[in-house]
Amino acid sequence: MPTRPLEKVLYVEDDEDIQRIVRMSLERVGKMSIEVVGNSTLAIEAMKAYKPDLVMLDWMMPEMDGPAVFRKMKEDPEVADLPVVFITAKASSRELDTLIAMGAKGTISKPFSPKDLPDQLRTFWSNLPD
Amino acid sequence: MDLLNAPAQSLREAPNLALLDGAGQKADPRRILADRVEQLYDQLWIAIVGAFAIGGIATFELWEPRFGGLVLFWWGLVMLMTFASAGLLLSYRRSRSKLAEADQWMRWLGLSALAIGSVWGFAGAVFFPSHTGEQQVFLAFLIAGVVTSGIPVFAGSWPVYAVFAASVLAPFAYVLATFGNRLFTELAILVPVFYAVSVAIAYRLSNVFATGYRLRYAYSELTDDYRELNKRLGKQLLELEEAGRQVEASGRKLALFADRAPIAVLEIDVEGEIQQINPAAEVLFGYAATELIGQPIEVLVAADARAEFAAKWRAIVDTQIPMMAQLINNIRHDSLDIVCEWTVTPLVSPDGRILSVVAQGRDMSRQLEAERMKKEFTSTLSHELRTPLTSIIGSLELVNSGVLGDVTKDVLDLTVIAERNGQRLLDLINDLLDVEKIRAGKFDLAPAVLEIDDVLEEALVLNRAFATRYQVRLTTIGSLPATQIYADRKRLIQVLTNLLSNAAKFSPQGETVEVALEDRGAAVRVSVHDHGPGIPESFRAKMFTRFSQADSTTTRQQGGTGLGLAICKHLIEIMHGRINYQDRDGGGTTFWFEIPKYTPSNNNEKEA
Repeated sequence: MPTRPLEKVLYVEDDEDIQRIVRMSLERVGKMSIEVVGNSTLAIEAMKAYKPDLVMLDWMMPEMDGPAVFRKMKEDPEVADLPVVFITAKASSRELDTLIAMGAKGTISKPFSPKDLPDQLRTFWSNLPD
Repeated sequence: MDLLNAPAQSLREAPNLALLDGAGQKADPRRILADRVEQLYDQLWIAIVGAFAIGGIATFELWEPRFGGLVLFWWGLVMLMTFASAGLLLSYRRSRSKLAEADQWMRWLGLSALAIGSVWGFAGAVFFPSHTGEQQVFLAFLIAGVVTSGIPVFAGSWPVYAVFAASVLAPFAYVLATFGNRLFTELAILVPVFYAVSVAIAYRLSNVFATGYRLRYAYSELTDDYRELNKRLGKQLLELEEAGRQVEASGRKLALFADRAPIAVLEIDVEGEIQQINPAAEVLFGYAATELIGQPIEVLVAADARAEFAAKWRAIVDTQIPMMAQLINNIRHDSLDIVCEWTVTPLVSPDGRILSVVAQGRDMSRQLEAERMKKEFTSTLSHELRTPLTSIIGSLELVNSGVLGDVTKDVLDLTVIAERNGQRLLDLINDLLDVEKIRAGKFDLAPAVLEIDDVLEEALVLNRAFATRYQVRLTTIGSLPATQIYADRKRLIQVLTNLLSNAAKFSPQGETVEVALEDRGAAVRVSVHDHGPGIPESFRAKMFTRFSQADSTTTRQQGGTGLGLAICKHLIEIMHGRINYQDRDGGGTTFWFEIPKYTPSNNNEKEA
């Protein structure tokens, strides 16, 4: 378990409405800081600039989908070690399993509960190694 | 094929008649003997009548007052022999054992011949020395005549004739030889020669008769066999005609099937050349039959699928095994690509040759397109509906949770309703997706070793808020030592949520829903007891089928899609358990399911 609490989250998501809800959820319910990136091709740059504790990736996005962003992160040592949680409307357990196999720290299914979302993220955070 | 084979097989059996092997058995020497005996008896009346008449004439001719007594005695002997022989003839005629006792009858006949012959011999021996020269000539003529005419009468059996002739000639020859007259002595020497010649003739005749009888039998057997053969041929001809009619009828039927079938039927020879096609094939490929017949089948296969097709064709021709449900990319006359499903059957002759290959196909393009669209629709349902629902439910939840600050009571009432119905819409979508996955057989499980009471506790926590809305309390009764099961946690909670929310929905306000865990040996049983109105009789049969709710009004009153229990049943069953319900004493219903306990041995293969 990391010694410090989860504070900064970067969220990569193309849907602006969901961006807004997640921002409200994490800021108002979870009392965290959140940075949202709408264009997934800019995600890595944003990570380097914002230096989040944890990255939330949407799966289905135009141009570059979540898994592609994730693979690209692994090639870049500066962001390769950032813990990643996928948030996806795909419900099949097989698909979720492949994300975990790729090294994701957790998955959250859409629709998610904005009330519970910060707690879910903190649970993943607390399960991380030091 | 059977129709064609049946007559051919019976024809092959045809030469297997009793004609050759049966002939020898029927030429029975006993029957030939019996026939010869019968012939002898048939002619015996000639000897009897002859003896009667000649005896009378001879008595008259040889009458001498000096020997009156002796002549009359002889005549008496002739009569006796005549009547005895007539008696023998009569008893033979009446006999029923002509065949079985033929040799006995032959012996009796021999005795009769001996007796008659002896009477004549007696005449020769007794009257020749005592009578005048004229009468001696008469006697000599008589005896020669009797011996000669005996030949045809007794020709059926030369030994009988030999006995007869010997009994006539021997006493006469003896008398001639001892008479003292040189001429008579010389005549006596001639008698055995005459005897030998007569017996030889009788022997020849008797052989001719015997051969005649054998031939007669052979002939009758031939005609019997011929008749039998004729009968069988006639029967086979009828069978052949019938088979021919059947073949023709089934041929017509097949032609009708092929002509009117909505499925394309092609007959292709072993070289891959099209022999025949039906109207459906013409429509499917846009060719006239005349354009396709004689063409290689490859003209109907899309260029990029030809290598694969050639391999399949080889396999069919080599193994002679039919292929079913083969999807092949075909090409129409108008160059349009279509995907067809083919059933390909080689027609194999009894000697193992492929006569032709029959291919039956139908256009699957539309069906495959429909399946693709359905899959796409399912995926759209999953993603495109969930995304806006995420926003709707998420927004409302944030408002309703109060973290954004207070709203007026009226607004809150409405946003709560909106959130609840958004949730209901989401449940419906999830249920529909689950049903679709069940239907497509694509339900993925993520099983793990779980503590059942742990799972149950989580389900209770998740559903408590829902139950509270119906003013129903969820409680557990009894306790169970920690028991491990091997199941998909998320799916098990889905089942529990379904049962708990149903129980809450159908319980009267203020009631409790009790949940119990029970050890059932190899399995653990989870029971959910409610105090609801029970399940209507009419609804029981379709409890676990899709889209069933007790009545359509409950759908509106209680929400839900009617899919829940069908999904639960499927989920429990793919986790190797079972699910059912029973009425509770004093009202209410118990829904329960059982899941096998986890033991490392019986779950090894699932963990692997």
